[in-house]
Amino acid sequence: MRLGAFWSTLRLALAAVWAQKLRSLLTGLGILIGVAAVVIVTALGAGARHSIESQIDNLGTNLLYVFSQPVAKSGARVNVQQGLTDGDAEAIRREATAVERVTVWSQVKAQVSSEYGNTKTEVMGADGHYLTVRGFRIETGRAYNAHEERSRAKVVLIGQTAKQNLFGAVDPVGRTLRIGRHPYQVIGTLAPKGQSPWEDQDDRIVMPIDSFRTRVSPAPHGRVHLIMATAKTAAHSEEARRQIEAILRQRHGIAEGEDADFIVRTQESWRQRQSEILNIVTLLLVTVAGIALFVGGVGVMNIMLVSVTERTREIGIRMAIGARRQDIQLQFLAEAIVLTLLGGLGGLLLSAGAIWALESALGWPMRLSAGAVALAMATSGGVGLVFGYLPAHRAAGLDPIEALRQE
Amino acid sequence: MSALIELAGVGKDYVTTAEVVRALDHVDLSIEPGEFVAIVGTSGSGKSTLMNILGCLDRPTRGVYRLAGVDVTERSADERAVVRNRLIGFVFQGFNLLPRTTAIQNVELPLLYRGIPARDRLLRAAEALVQVGLAERLHHTPQQLSGGQQQRVAIARALVTRPPLLLADEPTGNLDTRTSSEIMALLQELSGEHGQTIVLVTHEPDIAACARRVITVRDGRIVGDVRNETVRDARAELAALTEAPA
Repeated sequence: MRLGAFWSTLRLALAAVWAQKLRSLLTGLGILIGVAAVVIVTALGAGARHSIESQIDNLGTNLLYVFSQPVAKSGARVNVQQGLTDGDAEAIRREATAVERVTVWSQVKAQVSSEYGNTKTEVMGADGHYLTVRGFRIETGRAYNAHEERSRAKVVLIGQTAKQNLFGAVDPVGRTLRIGRHPYQVIGTLAPKGQSPWEDQDDRIVMPIDSFRTRVSPAPHGRVHLIMATAKTAAHSEEARRQIEAILRQRHGIAEGEDADFIVRTQESWRQRQSEILNIVTLLLVTVAGIALFVGGVGVMNIMLVSVTERTREIGIRMAIGARRQDIQLQFLAEAIVLTLLGGLGGLLLSAGAIWALESALGWPMRLSAGAVALAMATSGGVGLVFGYLPAHRAAGLDPIEALRQE
Repeated sequence: MSALIELAGVGKDYVTTAEVVRALDHVDLSIEPGEFVAIVGTSGSGKSTLMNILGCLDRPTRGVYRLAGVDVTERSADERAVVRNRLIGFVFQGFNLLPRTTAIQNVELPLLYRGIPARDRLLRAAEALVQVGLAERLHHTPQQLSGGQQQRVAIARALVTRPPLLLADEPTGNLDTRTSSEIMALLQELSGEHGQTIVLVTHEPDIAACARRVITVRDGRIVGDVRNETVRDARAELAALTEAPA
C-alpha cells in the first residue's frame, strides 16, 4: 500500500472510532483489560523468574548435590544401612577429575541458647571445605582450623540471622552458646548471604563435623547427610555428575540400571526444575489473561458487526462511487485494528501503572520487558485483525443496490 | 461506432421463490456523447432496473452492454466498481452524502478510490464545488446544508472525476419546485456549456421535459424514444419565478 493511501485509511478509521466515542471506549475497554492482564502476568512471571534465578545463583557456583535416599527393595522401602560417608567424599575428591572441591555436612534443627537469648536454628556439622564450596565468607573472627576439626573442638561459626536472635547487637566472637548440654565458643561470624530457594542461609550455626557427630547428633562414624561438590566450570557440570554417580555406585555396590541409594543433582537441574514450574504457572496465568483478551476480541467483532449494519447505506454510497470490495474490507479492518490498538495502548498504560504500584506498595519483583510491550501491541493489533475480519468481509460482500436501498 | 452507451437485447430477470420476474426484456438503446436523455416510466416499469444496469451496479441477465466502447456485461463486482469510478458519476434522489462529513470530503471520495494524492484531491474537489456554486460551503456537513445545496454537493461529487456519463436517479424527487428548477438549470448548464452526457431517470413529466430526448419504459420494454422539440428552459423559468411578485 502506498503511504498516502495508508494515511487516508488511518484517518478514516480514526474518524470512525472518534464518531462513536462512548461505544469505542467501551469496546476498547475489553481489549484494554485483556492486554493489561497479559502484560501484568508476564511481568510477574519474569520478575519471579529473575528472583528465583538469583537465589539459585546465590547458593554457589557450579554446585552438585549428593543426597542419600532410601531404595525400594522387594517392594518395601528400606533404608539401606550405608548412606553417604566421609569416605565417599574422599573418593570423589580423589577420582572425579571434573570436580574442583568437595565438602560434606550433616545438619539438624536444634534449640540453641546464649546468655542473651535462645532460638531454634539450623546446626550444621561441616568439614573445612564447606565455606568455600557454598560461597560463605567470614565476616568477623576466623574459621576453624584442621586441628580443631580433628580434635572435635567445641567451636562454632554463626550466621547473621542466628547471631541476631542469640546475641542481638552484641559482638558474639569469643562468647559462648549452648546446644543441648554442651557449651561452644563462637570464633567467627558469617557474612550475610540471603535467601536460597528453600531457606534463609543466614539462619545457621556451623561447627566441625566430628564435633557435630560426637555431641549434637550422634551417628555412625563417617556418616554425613550430604555431599556437595563444585565442578571445575559450568561446562564440566554434567561430566562431574556422571563421575560422581559412577564412583558412588561402585563404592555402594550398586549395579548399572539398579536404583541407587543416592541422587546427584546439579545446580543447573535445580534451575531447570524451577524454570519448568514457573513456565507452567506462567502459561496458566497467560491462558486466563488470553481468555480475557479473547472475550474483548469478541466484543470488538460484535460492535463491528453492528457498525456494518448501521452503516450499510454508507457502504452502498462508497461502492457506487467506485470503492472496490477490498477498499471496503480494508476500511472496516483498519477500524477494528485502530480500536484494538488504542485499547492495547490503554492496557499498556494501565499495566505500567499497576506494575509500578505493585512493586512499590507490595514489593513484588516485576519486570516489564520491551518484548512484552511489543508482544502486547502486536497481540492487540492481531486481535483487531482476526475479529475485524468477519465484519469487514461481510461489509465488503454487500450488494451496492441493496445497500443503497437501506434507510 | 462512437456511441457512449450501447444496449443490445438486454434483459434482466429476478428470480423469486414463486416465479421469475422479467424486469427488463429486449432493450436496445444507443446514447451518443453529449446527449441529455430522460428515461421516464411509472414505478414498476423497469426504469430503476435499467438505471442500475446503465450505472454498472447490476449485471443484465441477457444481452450486451457496451459503455464507452468497453463491454461491461460480464464484469466482476470489483471491475464494475472501477468502471463506475472511471466512467460514471451518480446523482441520487436521496443525495446519498456521507453524514458528519464535510462537503469537500464528500466530493473528494471518488478520487480517493482512484488513488489520487490528498493535495490534488482537495484541489479538484474544491474546483467541482465552485462549479456548482458552493464556493462558500466547502466545510459544511450535509446537516448544515439545505436540500438543494446537498444535491449540488452530490453533483459536484459526480463531476469531480470528469466522467463521460452523469447518471441522475430522480435528482429532484426530494426537492420543492423552486429548488428542483435550480438543479435542472444546473444540469442543463452542464449539458449545454460543457457537453456533459446526462441520463436522467424520473417519473415526473415536467422534469423529463428538461431533457432533449425522452425514452419511455413500460413493463420492462422501451415503448417510446422521442426527440423533445419543446425543451423546458429551467434557467428562464427560475428567472421568471424570481421576478414574479410574491
